[in-house]
Amino acid sequence: MVMKSAVDDDDTGWGLGIPEKMKNNANWVDITHEFKSACKDLNLGELLHDKLFGLFEAMSAIEMMDPKMDAGMIGNQVNRKVLNFEQAIKEGAIKVKDLSLPELIGIIDTCFCCLITWLEGHSLAQTVFTCLYVHNPDLIEEPALKAFALGLLKVCDISREKVNKAAVFEEEDFQAMTYGFKMANNVTDLRVTGMLKDVEDELQRKVKSTRSRQGEQRNPEVELEHQQCLALFNRIKFTRLLLTALIAFTKKETSSVSEAQKLVAQAADLLSPIHSSIQHGIQSQNDTTKGDHPIMMGFEPLVNQRLLPPTFPRYAKIIKREDMVAYFSKLIERIKTVCDVINTTNLHGILDFFCEFSEQSPCVLSRSLLQTTFLIDNKKVFGTHLMQDMIKDALRYFVSPPVLSYKCCLFNNHQAKDYIDSFVTHCSRPFCSLIQIHGHNRARQRDKLGHILEEFATLQDEAEKVDAALHSLLMKLEPQRQHLACLGTWILYHNLRIMIQYLLSGFELELYSMHEYYYIYWYLSEFLYAWLMSTLSRADSSQMAEERILEEQLKGRSSKKTKKKKKVRPLSKEITMSQAYQNMCAGMYKTMVALDMDGKVRKPQFELDSEQVRYEHRFAPFNSVVTPPPVHYIQFKEMSDLKKYNPPPGSADLYLAASKHFQQAKLILENVPSPDPEVNRILKVAKPNIVVMKLLAGGHKKETKVLPEFDFSAHKYFPIVKII
Amino acid sequence: MYTKKCLLYEAEISQRSLHQSEVSSSSQARQKLEGLLNKNMRIRMTDGRTLVGLFLCTDRDCNVILGSAQEFLKSTDTFSQSEPRVLGLAMIPGHHVVSIEVEADSLDDTQGFGANH
Repeated sequence: MVMKSAVDDDDTGWGLGIPEKMKNNANWVDITHEFKSACKDLNLGELLHDKLFGLFEAMSAIEMMDPKMDAGMIGNQVNRKVLNFEQAIKEGAIKVKDLSLPELIGIIDTCFCCLITWLEGHSLAQTVFTCLYVHNPDLIEEPALKAFALGLLKVCDISREKVNKAAVFEEEDFQAMTYGFKMANNVTDLRVTGMLKDVEDELQRKVKSTRSRQGEQRNPEVELEHQQCLALFNRIKFTRLLLTALIAFTKKETSSVSEAQKLVAQAADLLSPIHSSIQHGIQSQNDTTKGDHPIMMGFEPLVNQRLLPPTFPRYAKIIKREDMVAYFSKLIERIKTVCDVINTTNLHGILDFFCEFSEQSPCVLSRSLLQTTFLIDNKKVFGTHLMQDMIKDALRYFVSPPVLSYKCCLFNNHQAKDYIDSFVTHCSRPFCSLIQIHGHNRARQRDKLGHILEEFATLQDEAEKVDAALHSLLMKLEPQRQHLACLGTWILYHNLRIMIQYLLSGFELELYSMHEYYYIYWYLSEFLYAWLMSTLSRADSSQMAEERILEEQLKGRSSKKTKKKKKVRPLSKEITMSQAYQNMCAGMYKTMVALDMDGKVRKPQFELDSEQVRYEHRFAPFNSVVTPPPVHYIQFKEMSDLKKYNPPPGSADLYLAASKHFQQAKLILENVPSPDPEVNRILKVAKPNIVVMKLLAGGHKKETKVLPEFDFSAHKYFPIVKII
Repeated sequence: MYTKKCLLYEAEISQRSLHQSEVSSSSQARQKLEGLLNKNMRIRMTDGRTLVGLFLCTDRDCNVILGSAQEFLKSTDTFSQSEPRVLGLAMIPGHHVVSIEVEADSLDDTQGFGANH
């Protein structure tokens, strides 16, 4: 930037005018010799530079002739001539008609590989647009290739549009730049799918005509042609199905999502025959010295080298054909999962769906499709429900606030309606953002969760005020009912969930050092999960109070309504799971303290920082939250001080206590009626830890100086402790 | 990949300590080079490419930093054949510098000479 200002300061105003000057044959004076000799007179290490140009600017310069930074260099070192599409046609280096079947299959497969590489975060210029055919499909005379090129462009275009719209990507996920290439915008989607279908029908006829008949002596040539036709047919059909599915996602009706699901399921059936026919395609004459891009007809890896930005050119390594089908089948699995979201109707369910989906670290396309399916054009959920209504339903499901109950006088009270409506409206943006956050990649999610806490703190404040206002209204109208901390409880619940997720994701992302584990697990078990459980039980009792009132009102009318015995409480599963998590965290906390006592936790030499600095950094985002109030380091030290017990526990006592916590977690989880995979994953950690803690309590390997190992392979958040 | 720049950096640091002891080493050569600062420069590299940009910085090994640099593939005077590629800030290692040219008009324009110093 300083460099720029230096330009501005200069009265002659060089800069953008340079190329103009060049063309006007400016007078260039060769000063090579003088310059070099003048340089030699400088002292070793002496820098000659403008006052405004410092080392900081120098550091951001790209270094020429360094292959990692200098994108222009590669193109200059290759011995062959780099031709663009038109030049290649003119020179006869590329065929635009009468391509053989193996050529078509090979080109299509390479294009698929390029597509996947692009979806994995490389630029279009270095992937899909290394295929010259897609530069200008109008020049292709071969109908199958032309239809495929257009189809591929459409697939790219729709994917790009979806990803851009969903806005859940960062530069490490996706490159949206098109470098000025046309994405087949002059042809309609319908026309392209029609062209693909025509090619498909034509190929199907060929497949049928070459099919073996009973008792016929098989000509191996015909058999080969049959197989190759079939291979091409499957590829064209796959492209069409994929494209049609993506088009279905762009439609507004919910029904089109299930249509997309059907289409991708059909596409998935083609993958196995595609995989087994890869060898029919022509292979690249691999330039093994560089080990890079396949070099084959129709592809020129360097054709766009000069379009690349001057920054580090990210070297795009195109995936292998053998891996292509595996990637596609996973992608299709993910898209199928995405389609299931429309079967979830309540907001909490949807939120859980997003969390679960994100846990598999899905690709940017499926993440974006999920976002755009959820909020169509940012207005309505699945295109049908208002976000406000979803929030009201979620509130009813969670705390059953009187204000949203049809049987309550507040329901039709104008003032109460205004209060609740404005609150719900204010909720909708933060909740949409929360759902959007779950669409980002795992590392970015953590960062964003930390920030959204601020918005939820504001909501918390408002919720408490609205609760108070509604309560005083209700006291006047129906003195026997209460409206205390209903909305507040709901917001608090989400606040806590975000905070817990923020801390836990640090384990998944391997951010914490071993010596930090103890305060993280302490914060979770003693504080956040304790708060979460009390919040859940408050919501539960609020639900029960509301149900009792409803029952009483019903009894008044129909006397013989039999009472349902022991209904399953809607929140019971979540309360149970929180108890289990809390015990796991408590177990880990005590384990870490005990290991520390035995000198089995390596601590850094605190020179420039201290434990307090680290602690405060770890919990910094919680400072914006009012309820629950952040626990400061001094408080934490006081609360976790073991000296307040008499006698203070030793490491053996703590191991034993930890073992009991793991035991407790195991008991709780084993009683879960229908265990999901998560339950089993925690059990896989709890069981061995019970045994290890008991062993340690008994003094097993007390003398060993070898540090314990923490194995997070069974569960992302809780390790199996291993003593070696 | 940063080695070159790191060297520059270390050099600058050692230079600062040098300055404390011997205050002025600004020779004739130094003045001459200072006069070229912020002038339009054209540098040919060993691989045949030419960079055009503003001269911002150099050192004893003739490593040159150009600002607003543009890359031309051919060194001929007619640039119409190929569009330049915008590079921005670029450092050319001294041993890759083949020739250096400066725009004549800007040389004559003496009013800016060393104005900043």
